[in-house]
Amino acid sequence: MIRKLGLLMFILGLLLAVGCGKDAPVVVDDPTTSIPMETVPEEPVAEEPEPVDVVPSGPTAEDYARMAPQEYGIEDLFFAFDEYTLSTEAMMLLEASARIMKEHSVLTYVIEGHCDERGTVEYNLALGEKRAIAARDYLVSLGVPASQLRITSYGEERPFSNGHGESAWALNRRAHFSRP
Amino acid sequence: MMNRSLVLLLVMMCLTSTVQAQEVSIGTVREAWDRMDILVQPLDVVSGGTEAQEAAWVLESVIGVDLDYSGLFKALSPAEGDTTTVTFAIEGVLEGRLPGTAVTDAEAAPVLNLRLMSYPGRQVLLNKRYRPTWDKLRASAHHFVDEVVLFLHGEPGICLTRIVFARGSDDRRDIHCVDFDGEGELRLTANRQLNLFPTWSPDNNQLAFMSWREGQQGIYLLETATGEVRAVNETPGSNLNPAWHPSGEELLVSLSKVGQHEIYRLGLQGNIIRRLTVNPAIEISPSWSPNGRDIIFTSDQTGAPQIYIMAADGSNKRRLTFEGRYNDAAAWSPNGEKIVYATRIGDFTQIVLINPDGTNRFELTGPEWRNCEDPSWAPDSRHIVFASDRSGVFKLYVLDILEGGIRQLTFGDEPDKTPDWSH
Repeated sequence: MIRKLGLLMFILGLLLAVGCGKDAPVVVDDPTTSIPMETVPEEPVAEEPEPVDVVPSGPTAEDYARMAPQEYGIEDLFFAFDEYTLSTEAMMLLEASARIMKEHSVLTYVIEGHCDERGTVEYNLALGEKRAIAARDYLVSLGVPASQLRITSYGEERPFSNGHGESAWALNRRAHFSRP
Repeated sequence: MMNRSLVLLLVMMCLTSTVQAQEVSIGTVREAWDRMDILVQPLDVVSGGTEAQEAAWVLESVIGVDLDYSGLFKALSPAEGDTTTVTFAIEGVLEGRLPGTAVTDAEAAPVLNLRLMSYPGRQVLLNKRYRPTWDKLRASAHHFVDEVVLFLHGEPGICLTRIVFARGSDDRRDIHCVDFDGEGELRLTANRQLNLFPTWSPDNNQLAFMSWREGQQGIYLLETATGEVRAVNETPGSNLNPAWHPSGEELLVSLSKVGQHEIYRLGLQGNIIRRLTVNPAIEISPSWSPNGRDIIFTSDQTGAPQIYIMAADGSNKRRLTFEGRYNDAAAWSPNGEKIVYATRIGDFTQIVLINPDGTNRFELTGPEWRNCEDPSWAPDSRHIVFASDRSGVFKLYVLDILEGGIRQLTFGDEPDKTPDWSH
């Protein structure tokens, strides 16, 4: 559920980035090029292969530095119970993050591994680090310089939700991006 | 002075005359144990007024609780027995007004005499003299009961031991310390960091612990006398669970500086003495055997964490636990006879006991205790401290593996985790 939400957020982000929502065709300063709304195909837009090319005209690294990474598209990743392998959704999120990171190479990140409360303090600290490493290694494989990334693990020590039960646990099994 | 064989004879006589101890729930661990009755007589307050009388009440209370917590004795009040029915009694005299802290003039200090007596015959088995102050009052009683335990049981008592642990949540987790009876809580760090895994050096003069500094884990040492802290290792990645060698000269740690968690023997200056594991799996939670010859640790090389054993040089690795899919945090008893660890059963973590060869698995806690984690042995190899969230928040509990009884050690709303019992 959470991961689906993440994906939805990601797609929404793309829509906004490309500037192709319902409002996109309204180009007021040049009415001759305006396209009637009905002709804008909704579906393909979401799958536009290289939408991020449009981003450079957007916020600068200085703008980003003032924001939480999650506010500009560097999303946290979620993991299955006792797992540190990346899901397909997690890889898609990391691919989007990698583009932003390469675009603004002055920005550095700490990838924090987190776990749910089940299991031991010790193993969860190790498992959290494995999650952070999995995220870092995939970003590096996508061309993000390793020097831009640092990893740490908080295991089960800093949960995002203090509840007990699967809905809370699912929120707590994550790789979280923060700024050092 | 009475010789040891006579004392043992007395003990035997006493064992036959004591009341049956409470029902023993862990009969498979060892033979059921009968507690020995000891009468705690009111102290004779010779001078010092009501203040001295209050001190006497504190002493009587501490002596009674200490005797009960030892697991060896049952303290009887004068209402529960007298010198015609018990073999052993503790008596004493308190003379003088108690100062708050140590007095410079020793002659001005009050005198406390505590005696272990045997009946009938009213023989003095032990006679100890103290000059207590208010801040050392409980310690005087602890010291005397330890003497009683040594005299009657032949092994050192644990009344003067303490437990360190991490208290707090999220970003603020300080190292705290508490006496074995739950009194005398003390905060030892105030670095506004997340601190975990404090462990006593064999001489109890230092604590090794793990701390995050600016988001990076490191291993640190804290001098218990001065509170001074210094870094041992701050290499990138994990710096997990420091464990002291019995000599006090080196640590076992789990570091991930090579990209995966491996067990290392580390000098106190951070120098690597030996890397003990080479494996892409997670290797954590190392702990020495009491003789320093073997190391137990956790590895998930089979896909799930299990307890393994290896020689001190990393050779002869073999798996110890085969039951359960999640075993971790093993600790070897100081007498070498047992290993305790945490295992997941259902949704909860429980405490389990095995022999050092992996046999004789015995579950010490059940699901009514929710999660039970990070067991640590008392020096008597009989008591174990662990963290449980039974009350909704992790607090510390002490378990007697012979009788199966569990008592709560710490209280309050803040989570207490990763306890370690002093030596």
